[in-house]
Amino acid sequence: MYGLLIDYKWCTGCHTCEIACQQEHGYQPKKLLEKGKVGISPYEIGPHDLGGGRFQYEFLPVPTELCDLCAARTAEGKQPTCVKHCQAGCMHYGPVEELAKKMDSRKMALFV
Amino acid sequence: MSAETPTVKNEIEADVYGSFFVKEEARDATTQDDATGREWTWEEDGMTVIRTNARTGPGCHQNCGLLVYVKDGVIDHIEGDPENPHNQGRLCLRCLAAKEMIYHPDRILHPMKRARENRGKDAWEQISWDEAYDIIYEQITRIAKEYGAESIFVHQGTGRDINGYGPMLAQMLGTPNYGMGFLSGQACYAPRLFSTSLKVGDMFVCDYSQFFPERYDDPRFEVPEYIMVWGNNPVVANSDGTLGHWIVECMKRGSKIICMDPKLTWLAGKAEYWFQVRPGTDCALALALSNIIIQEDLQDHEFIDLWTYGFDEFAESIKGYTAERVAEICGVDAEKITECARALGRARSACLQWGVAMDHTPEGFITGMAVFDLLAVTGNFEKPGSMVCGRPCFGVGSTWMSDFSAIEALPAPEWAAPGSRRMNEEYNGCRSMAAISQDMELEALETGKPYPVKCLWLETNNPIANMGAAPQRILPAIQGTEFNVVVDLFMTPTAMAAADVFLPACTFAERAGITGHQPYQLGAVAQCIEPLGECKSDQQIIYEVGRRFHGADKVPWTRDEDFYDFCLQSSPFTYEQIKERTWAYPEFEYYKYKTGKLRPDGQPGFNTDTGRYNFYSIAMQNMGYNPLSSFEEPPESPVSSPELAREYPLVLTTGARRWSLFHSEHRQAPSMRAIHPGPQVMINPVDAERYGIEDGDWVLIENPFGSCRERAEVSPRIKQGVVSADHGWWFPERKGHAEDDGTEAGLFGVMECNINKLMPMRPGKTGLGNSYKSQLCRISKWEG
Repeated sequence: MYGLLIDYKWCTGCHTCEIACQQEHGYQPKKLLEKGKVGISPYEIGPHDLGGGRFQYEFLPVPTELCDLCAARTAEGKQPTCVKHCQAGCMHYGPVEELAKKMDSRKMALFV
Repeated sequence: MSAETPTVKNEIEADVYGSFFVKEEARDATTQDDATGREWTWEEDGMTVIRTNARTGPGCHQNCGLLVYVKDGVIDHIEGDPENPHNQGRLCLRCLAAKEMIYHPDRILHPMKRARENRGKDAWEQISWDEAYDIIYEQITRIAKEYGAESIFVHQGTGRDINGYGPMLAQMLGTPNYGMGFLSGQACYAPRLFSTSLKVGDMFVCDYSQFFPERYDDPRFEVPEYIMVWGNNPVVANSDGTLGHWIVECMKRGSKIICMDPKLTWLAGKAEYWFQVRPGTDCALALALSNIIIQEDLQDHEFIDLWTYGFDEFAESIKGYTAERVAEICGVDAEKITECARALGRARSACLQWGVAMDHTPEGFITGMAVFDLLAVTGNFEKPGSMVCGRPCFGVGSTWMSDFSAIEALPAPEWAAPGSRRMNEEYNGCRSMAAISQDMELEALETGKPYPVKCLWLETNNPIANMGAAPQRILPAIQGTEFNVVVDLFMTPTAMAAADVFLPACTFAERAGITGHQPYQLGAVAQCIEPLGECKSDQQIIYEVGRRFHGADKVPWTRDEDFYDFCLQSSPFTYEQIKERTWAYPEFEYYKYKTGKLRPDGQPGFNTDTGRYNFYSIAMQNMGYNPLSSFEEPPESPVSSPELAREYPLVLTTGARRWSLFHSEHRQAPSMRAIHPGPQVMINPVDAERYGIEDGDWVLIENPFGSCRERAEVSPRIKQGVVSADHGWWFPERKGHAEDDGTEAGLFGVMECNINKLMPMRPGKTGLGNSYKSQLCRISKWEG
């Protein structure tokens, strides 16, 4: 079984995964001011006031029902497009067992 | 150290201090990267793959490496190039969806003309390129002879790569008046680049390993211990050749963040020290940090003793910038200032990731200097993970700065106006960097003084939507000239309002080119598809217009590739060679001031008048300004204008970058508008409650200069007492309101949500810097 590991302490919320996914799957809006379908998009965490002038303001990309882990790309040995293009380099694709072994710090999420 | 201390002059010599662009001869230079086996094109899955760099059109300040997949002459899709060290396969949303801009049905694909009396009306007529050039030749020749060539202004915006090429057109049209179109006070990068070049003699950038093809793994590189993210949101903005997410990679490897921003950005949230400063006060904070470091004897004694000039005067002059006083000025915690100063003073290395906010306060010219003084106090030049000198790679300047030797090799007409006629005489700052004053230009358009402005050439420039302050003044002013040309991708509000000839430009995919804005890698833009319709590259338009004026013997190029061979003449490469290798890294070394690599005389030191880093700037003194960095309140602020602030109690900052938009571009692209559908103003919940505003309400934003409306985004991310408003909004989908009907609805609604209406066209004392991020305003719910 394959999945996506997201080291979301580094996710900046840049929407690259969302747009890469739309372009790959033809989910992008075709007309102005429409919303397309999405296979993954970043969710905002916070801002939560932690006191002392510190805040949690982070993002977590969450795959949707439409995510097929880029089956067409991975069949050719390529990375899913969201993983390849992620500007923060915080997404990883692979067998779930291998990804789980990489989970060595807080703020990591594994989507299967 | 051989340089003698220069004497103080009584009068400034115009055009003498502009030294931040140093061009080097590099025909015999070697490269760090080995291009053996690197292919620039291949076949894959029935498609042709073309390896290229995305610069530019649509707008961006990056040169990311791309693989463009082309099928039957049409782009199928675009991916990041995993082998290009610049972006290492990653790519942002705008490039991934660039097809929406390249193939947009609104693209203008043929030259067009319109009778002058029909300005503002959708009364365009398609013409041939020959007819367009004939009209341009006749009109510009007539105007130059009638009013002088200085009445012609050639302008650029920042969306396409014509920084270095536009001045070539100005040269060939005979005018000394070239610059950003109606950007008040040249307020983007140029003020701080110029002011800090007086300090340190070159352009310096933060070292994120971008000078090495092996990047973070190069054994010479060490990540900065602290990255000062100052007036910049680099992961969104990607300003000036710095790819913001390099900072994330440095953070993964141990870099810590110091962030100065009135808004909680992602980086501010990750910072060890976040200063939520009142906009326009950054200079005071920089001086306080330096002062505390010196008071606690944490400065870099060796660097200061050996390599700087005027330290004692500087140290004495900033003694009043205590943590307590500056905490009150900036609205931040005094203890945090002291702690941060200590951390910086003790750090192995620190660098500066600065942003346009520095230029967006009228005395921002000084802010950059003050922050550089902090870098000098801590000795953060030319060591790994600090500020390193960035000159154009292989001496190729035309791609991103005015390359004077290339420009002067081009012909000028017999009626050319000399540099002494450049529109800048009121401002010594502009005179010294050989820049125009757009603020004077607007007045000249309105009054004819000091001389009339009769012709505008606007290339990738949409000033009434984007960079022009006081667009309500600019619109009638540009409609009052005798002849205007606009070169762009789309029918912009500016083109609809005021162009007589419209010339259609190519996107990066349709043309050849060279990368720019990045003093570490030289690369090629490879043509991927045929130009759409009759579009031409900006560069082709520039040299073809030049040829129409001067003939084929003086302006010989008929192919862009040959033109780029001319631009590349200081390098070891022809255009074909750089295209085939796609990128090339010049050799790089640290500590160049110690080895004589910065000065033309080969002596150790910096490339300044004193040979040292100038805490005390004699050039500034010669221009009639304070030779030492000092803080000045913005002209409109709760401190400097308390009576005004009673009526307009909120500090207004504008122009924060958005993920999916580049300035006024991308409003046509469905994917990009879905990410950011409309203009927003961020308001703190406390202020929102006080003024009866709820999230999503339309809000009227007003000050004595003007008003506009945007939609409220109520968020604790913004400092209380400050509002942050979007810029660059127009609505290309409102095709029924394309024409100028004299109301706000006309010209695609460009005046409805135009935050620049609240900005004066008024620079700082040097002529450089403006208040785009340091105004006052009030807000109320807009009732329609």
